[in-house]
Formats: sequence, C-alpha cells, structure tokens
Amino acid sequence: MNGIPMNSSQAMHNKIGIVGVPPLEIIRQLNEAQAIIVDLDEPQLFLPIDQSDQYLPRVYCAILRTVLLNALNLRLERIYVDVGPGKCDCALHVAAVLKDILSIPVVATRNTDTQSFGFPVCQSSLPLIEKMRRITKGVQSCQPWPQLPSCPPTAGFWGVPPRDFSILAPFPDSTHIYGWTRCMENKTPADLELESYCNPAVPTVFFAQSFCAKTALAKHLAARHPKALWVDCDVSAGSSARAKIEAFLELSGVLGGGRAAG
Amino acid sequence: MLLADFGTSYCKLLDTAQNAGPQIIPARELPRDFQADIGTGHNAKRRSTSTVNELTALARGGRRLISEPDFTLLDCGSRDIKFVRFKNGEMADMGWNAECGASMGFTIELLAQYYRLDYAAVPVPESGFSVTCGVLGLSSIFDAVAAGSSELEAAAKFVRGIARNAFRFAGSPERLHLSGGLCDNPLFTACFPCEIVPLGRFVLLEGLRASPQESFR
Ligand code: SF4
Repeated sequence: MNGIPMNSSQAMHNKIGIVGVPPLEIIRQLNEAQAIIVDLDEPQLFLPIDQSDQYLPRVYCAILRTVLLNALNLRLERIYVDVGPGKCDCALHVAAVLKDILSIPVVATRNTDTQSFGFPVCQSSLPLIEKMRRITKGVQSCQPWPQLPSCPPTAGFWGVPPRDFSILAPFPDSTHIYGWTRCMENKTPADLELESYCNPAVPTVFFAQSFCAKTALAKHLAARHPKALWVDCDVSAGSSARAKIEAFLELSGVLGGGRAAG
Repeated sequence: MLLADFGTSYCKLLDTAQNAGPQIIPARELPRDFQADIGTGHNAKRRSTSTVNELTALARGGRRLISEPDFTLLDCGSRDIKFVRFKNGEMADMGWNAECGASMGFTIELLAQYYRLDYAAVPVPESGFSVTCGVLGLSSIFDAVAAGSSELEAAAKFVRGIARNAFRFAGSPERLHLSGGLCDNPLFTACFPCEIVPLGRFVLLEGLRASPQESFR
C-alpha cells in the first residue's frame, strides 16, 4: 500500500473523495475514521460537463471529466486517486492536474490488492442498474459482501460502470456482469485475468467509455466472443447506442421478440 | 394492420389488409394525427401503437428477403446508416451510426436539388473525398469548387466518399445487400468497391411484417 495514512480525528465526518478503487487499507482507515466517502467517478452535481474543459480536453474520458468537475465543486478534505494497473494512465495524469489546481491533498495510490472478496452481486438476479449501484457503492466499504443467491446468466455485460447507467436499462435481470466491474466487486481492480474473463455461452455486450484505453480490450474480446456486441459511449448514452443494445438483445433471443427468423 | 417505417425524409406505409403495395409519403406531408399499428424508425414511438427497433426490423426484413444464410445488409437512410451481418442464419454483427454517419442520405439529396444534378448522368469518379459525415463533407465540396473543380465533379467525389465510408462501416464485405432510398441512386451504388444487391426501400416494412405483433394476429 502507498499513500498517506490518516488518523481517525483527521477524517472524522470529513468528506473524502475517491477515484477508482483505492487499496483496501485506505478504505479501512476511512471506514474506521467514519469518513464520508464520495465517489468522484460518479456524477454528484447537476453541472454541465463542459465546465471541465478548462483543465481537460473535451475529447477525453467522461468519467475523468466528471471526476474533475466533482473535485472542483465539492468541499472535500482530501482525495485518493487510484492510478496504475487498477485504473489507468489517464487517472494518473488527472491526479497530476488535480494536485496542481487544488489546495487540498491529492494522494495517488496504486491498488494491487489480491485478496478476493467474491462477486455475488455480478451473478445475482437483481436488475442490472441495481447491481451496478451496489457494486459502485461497495467500493466505499472494506466489509465482505452479504451472500446473495446467484442466477444462471442469459446475457452478459462486460466493462466498467458506465457514466450513464441508462444504457443498462434494456438488459434482463439475469444478466451477469464481467470485466472491470467484476474486479471492482472482488476488490482486485488490477486483476487483468479476471477482467478479461467473459462467458462465451451467453450473448454479451462489451462496453467501454469512449476515449478509454479499455476500448482495445473490449473490441478484442468482442471479436473473439461467439455472440458479442461492442459499444462505447461518451458522456451520455445516445439513442443509437441504446437501440443497438436493444436490437442485439432481441436478435440474440435474450429479450422478447426472439430471433430474426424469416 | 397498418405498418409504417417512419424515415426522417420519407414515410413508407403498408396496409396488410389491402392488396396494394407499399406507399411512400414525404414525412412532412403526413397528417399530424396519423397513427400506425406497428411502426419503426424516427418518430415511431409518437405515431404508432407498438414499435419495433430499427435494427431489429432491418434484420428481420433481411431474413425474409435474402435466402442466403450468410449476408451483410446495409441500410442507408437520410439521417443514419446501419447494418446487420448474418452468419449461418444467425445474427453475427451489427452497427448503427447516427453520429458519424449523420445526414449522409439527406445531404446527397440536398446536393442534387441545389446543383440540379441527375445522379444517373454523373460518371463514377476515380477518387473521392474522405467523408465521415454528410454535414462536414459539405465543406469539402465548397473547398473543391472554390479551388476550380466543377460542381458535378465535387458532388461525385462526395458521393463516392460517402459510399466508401458506408462500405467500411459495414465491414468491407465482398457482396453487400443494400436497403433504403439510396438504392435508387446509380452513382451511389456504383461507387461501392464490391458487388451490390439493391433491395429497395421497403426492407424495414418487410421486417415489420415479421414482427411478433403482426404474426400473432
Ligand atoms: S473509463 Fe477508462 S479512461 Fe476512464 S477512468 Fe475508467 S479506466 Fe480510466
């Protein structure tokens, strides 16, 4: 683990921003200190994303543009940005920008945790949006997951939690989650083997944020998967991305309407 | 049952209770209160009792009209381009480009009106512009005309660029089935570097005929 350890009085009731999945040790300290953890990867404010243009290019990962917007406008005590194999180089560079423009401590961490916490939510029958909410929220806790019954998958969603969860709406509840989101739930964000795993038996949507390095892995895995669709989305899911997913699920027989039989 | 493919520029209608074939009506001439039983396309949600996703309608229409188990079908509309690829009778790939494919068909039609072009009389140019979007492509035409090209030559290069872009988008197949109004544009179809099988404007309507709402009646 690297980063600045904190004592409980330092964090007591203070808002601490996190980006990505900081090492478990950091989360444990924050939990012990009862810090309020704010996930800066998610939209926290109703502000136009263009306000991040002052510091980041417009053609850039929408998650990190959101991070910047949150960091500029929330009153935070400090920020932990995970960089390196558990996140991405873009986060490393954005951490450097944040260090430069903010007056609060910005701590870059490199999460290489290997202790598996499992991924019951990814394999549960909860609606996909709810699965995603629980997994992203789960990053703020160092506790193991409560048990959840698993369901057999009928579809797969591979990728990172999207900036706009609305693209998840067309999926059936029996969709299993793969990719980095599964690593997130497992609390091993740098586990490339787990990230690269997908299930060839179920039609799978391979998703990446536009302008993210993971688009290469998403496209590659989709090309090797027998029934796959690869999509990328920027700030919000356009109607063509949503329609593509909907048609893919319909034509693969996952959703009502069945196959395109003539 | 009234089926409708609500395109951006034209609406294609088919009344399955009548023996007459499909009709084409300019979208702006459609009565405000017009309602179809099953619709697809732009505006379908507002104007039909039930809707079918455009890609789903395209795929189903392709399966009804094309007898081969392996095919690529590309639909070039006014506003967007989309394709489906089938392998062994199963959907293998698909794509929908409403952003970078924006307004290609619309711009081709607009150009013909503006420059009074008859695309049947325009020879296929040796080279084309690199065009990814109808709107952005327009500036290449204006630049070429300003640099001394004839309007006809510049428009032809634009059409070739659009066809090549659509071809790459569909995965560069050796044989391509084409759907949509641009099937009737001889310059456009001749600009593809592969064998083209034009299926006309009613492929999505054919897909609606295959929709469960229609078949369970
Ligand atoms: S979506 Fe990709 S580029 Fe953006 S923060 Fe996540 S890993 Fe980095």
